Amino acid sequence: MKALVVDDSAVMRKIVIAALSQAGVTEVGEAANGQEGVNAALQGGYSVITLDWNMPTMSGIDALRAIRAGGVRTPVIMVTTEAEKDRVIEALKAGASNYVVKPFKPEVIAAKVRDALAKATP
Amino acid sequence: MKVEYVNPFVNSVKDLFSTMLKCDVKRGDLSLKREPGRPNEMLALIGLSGGDVQVRGTVALSLPVQTAVAMSNRLLGTQATEASEAVADSVAEMLNIMAGGAKAKLPHADRNPIQLSLPTVLRDHGSGFSVQHPRDTAWLEIPFTSDLGPFSLRVTLEFNCAQK
Repeated sequence: MKALVVDDSAVMRKIVIAALSQAGVTEVGEAANGQEGVNAALQGGYSVITLDWNMPTMSGIDALRAIRAGGVRTPVIMVTTEAEKDRVIEALKAGASNYVVKPFKPEVIAAKVRDALAKATP
Repeated sequence: MKVEYVNPFVNSVKDLFSTMLKCDVKRGDLSLKREPGRPNEMLALIGLSGGDVQVRGTVALSLPVQTAVAMSNRLLGTQATEASEAVADSVAEMLNIMAGGAKAKLPHADRNPIQLSLPTVLRDHGSGFSVQHPRDTAWLEIPFTSDLGPFSLRVTLEFNCAQK
């Protein structure tokens, strides 16, 4: 199973990747800003995408909208410090499948990935 | 600064330590300072602005290099012995998490979220640096001790700033 991890922090990408391995992810693509994330997502091949919010070049919420506008239906899990209720609602309305607030325990990421994949399976 | 504005930062630090750093942390006595950081320490800065409380200000994380290395090693499962790009990135991300967690708990946060800037980390490569803020800036220092070493948050915030 292949995941795309989008976060401007290389450290956070490593932490998320380690957590994803608990959910059975065996291959990972990485992107360091929203635009790179959109470019990679539109190329396809991912079972799940994790997406930070505050990034240079393009924010995660704008990247999410661009990914959905491009017709990509891959589950997207926001992984972000933005914890306010309005932010969560905004992300879900923009097409996020789930939402994880930093700081998180690795098992939370794994559980949300498994849940998103179960819901996405036809 | 009111206690309702201090506790979100303290609780946010405790959340980070319990979930991702997996060790205890204790708050020390609060005090007012004129500088964002302590001499010879690594310094990270992040800005806050906007929201219903119309806040404007900066949160600084000041920590000895040994504490930064220890925290980075705990986050990443590494055994580094000196500061590096990965350690600086760890410090930036930890400040991002501390400030992000705090801003969500400030009064009226849910109505109109406060914006966070991207974090900046300053490292002294031997030639030294100084950070200057507008004169009369007062920083509230929140010192902490932990199993990974001491560190401090310094916060300077203004509320009800008119939008320009």
